[in-house]
Amino acid sequence: MYIFKNAIKSITRNKLRNILLGIIVMVIAVSACVALSIRQAAAVAKEDAAENMTITAQISFDRSKAMEEMAAPEGEEPGQASQESEGSEGNVPDRGRFDFDILQGSSLTLEEYLRYAEAQQEGDSYYYSGAFSLDATGELLPYGTEEEESETEDQTDETGQDLFAGGMEGGRMEMPGDMPGGMGGKRFQVNQGDFSITGYSSYNAMVDMFGSDGGYTITDGEMFEEDSEEYACVISNELAMYNDLAVGDELVLCNPECEEETYTFTVCGIYENESASSQENNRFAINDPANNIYISYPAAAAIIAASEEAANTTTDSSGEETSAALKNTLAFTYTFVNEEHYETFAEKVYDLGLDEDYTVSSMDIEAFESSMTPLETLSKTALWFFVIVLIVGGIILVTLNIFNLRERKYEVGVLTAIGMKKAKVAVQFIFELFLVTFAAIIIGGGAGAAVSVPVTNSLLESQIEDAEQEQSQLNENFGFEHGGKGSGGEAAGGEIPGGRGGAVPGQGRGQDRFSGQSAASQYVSSVTTATNAVVILQLAGVGLLLTVISGLAALISIMRYEPLKILSSRT
Amino acid sequence: MSVLKLDKVSYKYNQNTPAVLEDISLEFENGHIYAIVGRSGAGKTTLLSILSSLAAPTTGHIYLNDEDVAKIDKYKFRSRYVGVIFQNFNLLPHLTALENVVLSMNISGKKFEEKEKTLAMALLEKVGLSGEEANRRVLQLSGGQQQRVAIARALSYDPDIILADEPTGNLDVETQQEIIGIFRMLAEEGKCVIIVTHSPDVAKTADFVYELKKSEEKIQAV
Repeated sequence: MYIFKNAIKSITRNKLRNILLGIIVMVIAVSACVALSIRQAAAVAKEDAAENMTITAQISFDRSKAMEEMAAPEGEEPGQASQESEGSEGNVPDRGRFDFDILQGSSLTLEEYLRYAEAQQEGDSYYYSGAFSLDATGELLPYGTEEEESETEDQTDETGQDLFAGGMEGGRMEMPGDMPGGMGGKRFQVNQGDFSITGYSSYNAMVDMFGSDGGYTITDGEMFEEDSEEYACVISNELAMYNDLAVGDELVLCNPECEEETYTFTVCGIYENESASSQENNRFAINDPANNIYISYPAAAAIIAASEEAANTTTDSSGEETSAALKNTLAFTYTFVNEEHYETFAEKVYDLGLDEDYTVSSMDIEAFESSMTPLETLSKTALWFFVIVLIVGGIILVTLNIFNLRERKYEVGVLTAIGMKKAKVAVQFIFELFLVTFAAIIIGGGAGAAVSVPVTNSLLESQIEDAEQEQSQLNENFGFEHGGKGSGGEAAGGEIPGGRGGAVPGQGRGQDRFSGQSAASQYVSSVTTATNAVVILQLAGVGLLLTVISGLAALISIMRYEPLKILSSRT
Repeated sequence: MSVLKLDKVSYKYNQNTPAVLEDISLEFENGHIYAIVGRSGAGKTTLLSILSSLAAPTTGHIYLNDEDVAKIDKYKFRSRYVGVIFQNFNLLPHLTALENVVLSMNISGKKFEEKEKTLAMALLEKVGLSGEEANRRVLQLSGGQQQRVAIARALSYDPDIILADEPTGNLDVETQQEIIGIFRMLAEEGKCVIIVTHSPDVAKTADFVYELKKSEEKIQAV
């Protein structure tokens, strides 16, 4: 006990020496605290963002892989074969190698998607939507078209020649097989329809539109029941105003291939789409968001089933069968609570029978990783800074301590001469170091904690600016427009509510043209807290390490000292 | 019965140098003052270092109450059995006189009946320091006062043997007399006081005087 009392007396009565030591440790502590806080902030922000992020994934057919396989003669590698065949055919590509039935008919059925969903884990879910197109009937007109145009369209439809010259809105586009670039004599028919009908399996599937960032709002009526088979729909306010439609009105639409095949919808809600008004005018009516009609998936499935039952099948001269039934384009999305679930799914789904020609991919993870880039770069820089501070600080402290010990050699001599064991003297000296170091670390850590948030945010801002400048330069060099949503329009980059991180990845609308990432809006741009319990513990560890390193110098010196020699030399 | 006994003690600083002390056999008893005298370089301070266990004899043995000192922990020996008064006092300058004495008591690890501070204050008063002087840092005290602090520190854990190296070397005659008086008082209390000195006046006050002579000269009891 007297050792500690003696240590405290020694500290208080050698103020200058200890203040100097304290200042050095404090500088190290402030630097270490800022560096550790930056690293911690990056880790916490990443964790928070990962927690807030819903990972969505799709299964898609790997068309290029399939084409490579088709192009390769048997027994040869795909890449190699492709080159050889090009050489043998001269400049005319051999398109006949590709089987479009396989390439186009490669979408999975709903049953298959649902079977693969068994590879998901607890908390994961899925949703899906089916889309097809229908034509207007009677007085109804798609938004952006006029009655005259509709008639012209019919004429054009019949001739099949003047497709690009006019009246393509909502029309039927035929591409004769003898046209340059025709696909092996086949005749492709593209029936755009007037309206895009999308059936959603659940409200979750519509969050991108009707969620907080979606821009869609029901302004009149209400959303359809998600599991209802009734033909209830929500339409845009533009379409409603254009056709004097109101909630409760009926809407009769027909199969673009068969005018007799009609479906009657009841308008249950009218939505406003903020983003639609800012978009460019679309040449085709179906491409205009105002002509999007939303229904429940069971209703969509019922329509498809009815259409398949009612539709005629025609056979052309080549024996090719063509059905007039509506074609449902299924979009299936799996959602995962975390990346680990996604990774497990991506492996396990093949065990459930998914063909190797299909891939599981998620844009959210890529977007998430790119959103973390500035913070992670900063984190790495902070680590190096921390290591350098620790090494330089350690060297300074050890040197200072050696000088201190030389100064206190006499004290060591006296204490051991009157019977104090060297080990106890060492304990006293190390305890003194410990007290001074920790007092300085507490003060320095406090100061570091206070400045760490503004320093982190300032450095982060600079990192983001660099990244944005690089992106802008790239866009400028390629002649793309910039300064809009993609690279700066949404530069505010909001913080996660109540959190420490930045914007939730994967929801930004400003897709950049390079690497598919949206620039400013997706970067984690600020942190609200940086120093936490982990940083404090790490700082304590730094203090302990510095005390041990410099204390070791004290210990070695003390153990080498002999009281007789010290006192004799002083005499 | 001797409290401290040297049996053919020799000491060399290293193997290639001649012995500073050679075959010295001495006995010290409680209740007496012993003076060790000799010319400079005769090995007086070396002998004191060996007696205080600051240096170990090259050959020979030292016995404390018939127990070989080599078998006793040297730190324990210094902090409990012998009180050493150094020529330069060797006090800790950042501590007060009182704190120097209390620290020595703490180092000894002995249990005291009263509080260390009270005992230390009593000791300082016994050697002639006032309460005010006791609470001054030692650098603020005169040489004589520092010597008294050093004596009080040596007495703090109540050892049987007091070793003093030139205890009056830097003091005026009056103070010298006072210090000698203290040693006499300690001897009368039953302690064995061994003083290394150049001073004939101090030697005269001793009960026994041992003179150290260089090389061929032999130690003599005067």
